[in-house]
Amino acid sequence: MEEQRLISLENISKHYDGVTVLDNINLYIRKKEFVTLLGPSGCGKTTTLRIIGGFETADSGRVMFDSKDISGIPPYKRRVNTVFQKYALFPHLNVQDNIAFGLKLKKMPKDEIARKVDYMLDLVNLKGYHKRSVESLSGGQQQRIAIARALVNEPEVLLLDEPLGALDLKLRKEMQLELKAMQQRLGITFLYVTHDQEEALTMSDTIVVMQGGRILQIGTPKSIYDEPQNAFVANFIGESNIFPGVMVRDELVHFCGVDFPCVDSGFGEDKPVDVVIRPEDILLVGEDVGQVTGVIKSVLFKGVHYEMMIDAGHSIWKVHSTTMQPEGSRVGLAVVPFNIHIMHPMEDEKPTEEKAQ
Amino acid sequence: MTNFQVPVWGYWMMGLGFAAFIGLLIAYIRKNRGFRRPIFASPYMLWLVIFTVIPCFLVAYFSFTDPQGNFTLDNFKSFWDSNFNARKAMSPEDLALYESMGLSLDDLGLGRDSINIDTLVFSLWMAFLCTVICLLLGYPAAHIMADREFKLGPTLVILFVVPMWMNFLLRTIALMSLLEDNGLINNVLEWIGVGRQKLLNNIAAVQAGMVYNFLPFMVFPIYNVLNKMDYKLSEAAMDLGCDKWHVFYKVTLPLSVPGVVSGITMVFMPAVTTFYISRLLGGGKVQLFGDLIEAKFLSTSLNEWNVGSALSLLMMILILLSLGLLNKVDPEGEGGGMI
Repeated sequence: MEEQRLISLENISKHYDGVTVLDNINLYIRKKEFVTLLGPSGCGKTTTLRIIGGFETADSGRVMFDSKDISGIPPYKRRVNTVFQKYALFPHLNVQDNIAFGLKLKKMPKDEIARKVDYMLDLVNLKGYHKRSVESLSGGQQQRIAIARALVNEPEVLLLDEPLGALDLKLRKEMQLELKAMQQRLGITFLYVTHDQEEALTMSDTIVVMQGGRILQIGTPKSIYDEPQNAFVANFIGESNIFPGVMVRDELVHFCGVDFPCVDSGFGEDKPVDVVIRPEDILLVGEDVGQVTGVIKSVLFKGVHYEMMIDAGHSIWKVHSTTMQPEGSRVGLAVVPFNIHIMHPMEDEKPTEEKAQ
Repeated sequence: MTNFQVPVWGYWMMGLGFAAFIGLLIAYIRKNRGFRRPIFASPYMLWLVIFTVIPCFLVAYFSFTDPQGNFTLDNFKSFWDSNFNARKAMSPEDLALYESMGLSLDDLGLGRDSINIDTLVFSLWMAFLCTVICLLLGYPAAHIMADREFKLGPTLVILFVVPMWMNFLLRTIALMSLLEDNGLINNVLEWIGVGRQKLLNNIAAVQAGMVYNFLPFMVFPIYNVLNKMDYKLSEAAMDLGCDKWHVFYKVTLPLSVPGVVSGITMVFMPAVTTFYISRLLGGGKVQLFGDLIEAKFLSTSLNEWNVGSALSLLMMILILLSLGLLNKVDPEGEGGGMI
C-alpha cells in the first residue's frame, strides 16, 4: 500500500506565540481518496491544510508529496490547488479570466485555454457565464467558479477549506453531492476541511477527527460513527449517550447500576471505561422487560423522529424513536449488546493510525 | 487701501441669498413640524453659502467685468497676453507720441507677453513631477505599511500622520532651515567632506517642499485600498502559480488602481495651485501659477483683481475637469477617506 500514498505528514507541529496549534500530526492521504479533516474551530484543521498548500510552514516535521519532501517549496510550485473559504475570486477579472488565471501563467496556447474554460464551466453547470463579473454572481455560483478555477489546473490534490460554509442548507446539500460526484468523475484526490459532521459523513472516504491540534481518530465514516475512539469523537459525530462504566470482564459492562452484555473485549477486568449508546439504538419497551426503567421527562418533535429525555434515577438517557410515549409515563429501556460501544476513558487517548477500508 | 468696492447689486445679492436661506429654513421647519436632524447642518450650510458659494460667484463676476463693472472678456485675453490690459489703457495720443519717438510697444515693455501661460505650463510641469515622485515614493511606502507580515506597519502609519498635524507653513519653514547654507544638511555635507552646496532658492528646493507636503495625500489613499484588500486574494494567486512579482503585477496592482487614481488627484490638484512653498523655498526665483494669482490680488494697480479672478476661474475649471476624470475611474470613491 506504500506506493499509493500521495501526501504524508510526518510529525508536523506548529506553534503560534507559544500556543500549540498542531501537536505531532501524522497522516497520509492516498491517491483519489476523499479525505475530510473534521473538528471544531481552532482544532488545527485549517492550519494542516495551509501547511499542505504551502501558505504556512510547520515548526517541525516533514510534508512528503510523492515521496519527496516539499516542506520548503513555495505554493506556486506545488501540484495542489485550493478552494478558499470565502472563494477569494479576483474581483477585477470576469468569470472566464478568473478560471483562466492559472493557465495563462503557464503560457498555455489561447485556444487550449478557451477549450478548458468551456469544459470547466460545463462541469460546474455555469455554461455561458464567461463574461459575467464575479461580483454579480450568487454565493453558490461564486463557489462553483472557485472550484472551476482550482480544478482547471488539473491539480494532483484539491484542498477545500470549508468551501460550503457560506451557503444555505439546501444549496449546501446539493453541492455536497455535486462535489462528491465531481471527485469520483475526475479521479482527483480531495482534502476537505469542515466542522460539519454530517457533511463529513456524506462525502468522505476517510474522516480525520481533530481536536486541540491532535488527531483523535482516523477511519471511514461508518467506523467513526459506530466505533468512536473516545467520548469527544462520540459526542462530536452524531448524538450520543455517554456513561461512565466499569468493564466487569470481557463482554460484560456495568453502568447505570446494571450489568449489560456487550460484544467488546480486551479491556481487562474491573477497568473504568466510557460507554456510548446512540439515541436511535435504545429501544423503548414495557416497564417489566426493560434493562433500565425511567420516567419520560420531555418529548421533542424533530421531524423524522421524536427526541425523548428519560430520567432513569441516576442517569438521563436521550432516546430517538419514531413512536412517541407521553411525558411522565414510565418506560423500560433496552439495548442490544451489539449497540453498546465501549471506549477507553478520555485521559489515555491514543490516536490510532489504523485506516479501515 | 484697496481699490475694490463691492457693487451695489452685490449687497443686494448677498441680502437676497441670506433671506432665501432663512426662508428655506423656516419652510423646512414648518413642513417637518419641528426640528429634525438636517437642521443641525444649517450652521454649516450658512457658512458654506457665505464663504464658499458667494465668493465663487464673486470670482466669476470679477472675471467677466472690468473695474467699472462693465462686462468684458479682456481678463481672459490677459491670460494669453499679460500686457493686454496695460496696452488697452494707453490713449491713442500717447501711442502716437511714442511712435513718433520711434519706440515700439516692445521697447515700452508692452509687447505680447506670455508669462501667464508660461507660468501655468511650468506649474503643471512641477505638479506633474511632484505627482510622479510622490507616486514612486508613496506606493512602496503604502505597500509596506499595508503588509500583514510587517509588524512596524501601524507605527509607520502614525509616523506619516503626525507631521500632518503640524501647520504646512511651519513644516515648510522647517524644511527651509534644513536646506539653508548653514542648515543641518549642509553641516552634514561639510562634515562628510562633500562641501557646502547651494540647496535653497532653486527649483529643486521648491519641488522637495511640494513632495514633502503632499506625499501623505498619495500614501493614504493607496494604503487604504491595499489595507482593505483581502490577503486571501494574494494567496489564491500564489496557489494558482504566481510568484511574488506576479502576485503584485496581476492582482495587487490592478486592484489598487482606485487608490492610485485618488492619490494622483489629491496630490496633483493642490500641487498645481501651490503658492507660498515656492516663495519660501524658491527665494522669489521660482514663480508658480498660485504665486501669480496671489500677486494679482495683492497688487494695488487697476484691473488686477479682475485678471486674478479670471486666472482663478481657469484654475477651477482645470480642477473640476480632473475631478470629473477621477469620478469616472473611481466612482465609489474607494480610495478616499482616512484624512
